[in-house]
Amino acid sequence: MNHTVLVCDDAIFMRTLISDILSGSGYEVVGQAETGAQAVERYQQLRPDLVTMDIVMPDMGGIDAVKEITKIDPAARILMCSAMGQQALVVEAIQAGAKDFVVKPFQPARVLEAVARVLG
Amino acid sequence: MDLARYAELFLTESREHLAVMNRHLLVLERSPGARESLDATFRAVHTVKGMSATMGYDAVTALAHEMETVLDALRAGRLAVTASRIAACLDVADALEGMVEGAVRGDDLASVGEPLVQRLRVLATDGEDAAAAPAVPAATPAAPSGSPAAAAPRARHVRVDIGRLDALTDLVGELILARGRLVRETAVSDNAPLVEAAEHTTRLLDDLQHAVLHARMVPVSHVFDRFPRMVRDAARGLGKDVVFDMDGDDIEIDRSLLDELGDPIVHLLRNALDHGLETAAERVAAGKPAEGHLTLCAARERSAVIVRVSDDGRGMDRAAITRRARELGVPRRGRGALNDAELLEIIARPGFSTAAQVTAVSGRGVGIDAVLHRVRALGGTVEITSHEGQGTTVTLRLPLTLAIVRALLTRVDDEVYAIPLTHVSEALETDRSELRRTRGGEVMLHHGQRMPVLRLRELVQLPRETHDTEQVVMLEIGERRAGLIVDELTSQQDIVVKRFDAARDGAALFSGATILADGAPALIVDVGGLMRGQHHG
Repeated sequence: MNHTVLVCDDAIFMRTLISDILSGSGYEVVGQAETGAQAVERYQQLRPDLVTMDIVMPDMGGIDAVKEITKIDPAARILMCSAMGQQALVVEAIQAGAKDFVVKPFQPARVLEAVARVLG
Repeated sequence: MDLARYAELFLTESREHLAVMNRHLLVLERSPGARESLDATFRAVHTVKGMSATMGYDAVTALAHEMETVLDALRAGRLAVTASRIAACLDVADALEGMVEGAVRGDDLASVGEPLVQRLRVLATDGEDAAAAPAVPAATPAAPSGSPAAAAPRARHVRVDIGRLDALTDLVGELILARGRLVRETAVSDNAPLVEAAEHTTRLLDDLQHAVLHARMVPVSHVFDRFPRMVRDAARGLGKDVVFDMDGDDIEIDRSLLDELGDPIVHLLRNALDHGLETAAERVAAGKPAEGHLTLCAARERSAVIVRVSDDGRGMDRAAITRRARELGVPRRGRGALNDAELLEIIARPGFSTAAQVTAVSGRGVGIDAVLHRVRALGGTVEITSHEGQGTTVTLRLPLTLAIVRALLTRVDDEVYAIPLTHVSEALETDRSELRRTRGGEVMLHHGQRMPVLRLRELVQLPRETHDTEQVVMLEIGERRAGLIVDELTSQQDIVVKRFDAARDGAALFSGATILADGAPALIVDVGGLMRGQHHG
């Protein structure tokens, strides 16, 4: 069975791009979220195998969303998507329970590598 | 990976984020402590940065990154929110708007953003430049993120290409035509289950039509959002003190109509700023508050959307306009002061205005007639009211959608003509004795009032025919009313407007064509054009 993924980013552009990269390689994108709060809610509903999480989002940022999701499911596999210059935040996210990160701009190969690592 | 196919999405979304950025920067300009606006601005520029980095638009990314750095320092309280920093951010937002478009076109932007990058760097390190305005306190600390109070409900969206929606609308249009045939056939059928099935289909199709049209609707804020910034900049450029208010920006209208509406509204706002509103000194001298008020509002009224631009400026100078009309040889019906309808007609004549700014509305002579043309081409109407010394209001009345309209079908000779119901107040029979021919044309008595009357038969160049009882369609646009005599009132039908041809010359009778349920073509009467023609006599 294909791995299921929840894609969280406040930009439709990013969600579309990430979803396309993943679906193109046999992952099943089961849902998208555009705020941290929505990510937590969707995670609870969908229980995906993997979450890709943007850091800067309205309502609830990605790091708080990671904290909430790991409260619900300590085994949740979350991949942070960060921009340049957010190293400190990435560290905080990893401490909060995220498994790995990729840095924008995305190279499809890097994203897929990281996804495979997190799921592996 | 082929990024080109994401370019359109990049552009649409960047524009939205830049509009958000502008809006919040304007809030910050007035209230530097507005934490939410600071956060929203930061998120917007951050998102633009991420997207442009992904697209490989380096110049956009670099500038967005620099702005993000400044905003981050403002958020953290390392730098104070000052007028000069916000002004720089507004300039950057402007530049980014142009740059995202340029990047998608493939322009070389390497040198475009660089001066602004430098300016931001100065602001981020030095603190202030020479032109610094008095410092204001740094933003208050952040509210705990994720607090329920801060969380607004967010709608879920799917982005669909407008072409797909058009295809869907066309299909529904075809279905409605097919339904027409079905209804005609079943009307004479005694097969009860068939009739029932047809009725059920009819109801479902109504719902489907409604749903599809609804899917095309977007809030006018999509276009309105850029106006506060535009008005602010224009007012500053003119050295005028203007408070700009918008209302009803959640009103929804067909997307394709909305896109066409931006330019006319810009014209009207500019006109109001340029010519309607006075300088602070002039206002004070006239006993008015120093600040001028400019309002843009949208509202729903029956099956129309009303867009209104009003100012509390000097109003139009009717005497000057009357003089100018005489110079141009514009025929006048009455004597004395111009009424509002005449006023609009005169100032909307191409080339009406002169360099000497005879009108307080448009010194360039391109404003009002361009607005009028565009709005009419969309099947809408324009009204103007102006009071000297108190201000001017321009009202645009537009259909909710261009795609499908409910129409009254009428017959003249063997031809069917469709009249959009938006402009029909009633249909009635009138006795020949109620009709009078006067020097100004034919009139009828209706509820004790004299009403101008037109005969569609004569308008389409057929020989005059009169009957003891005439079929009259009462047309209504705003305050104006007129009767239209036809041979027969046939029925009401939803018509699918295949092509809404812009009425190029002012006297055009028809605004488009449609195919009726029985497959016959019919012309769609341009009620606005008709009423204007009648007004000229």
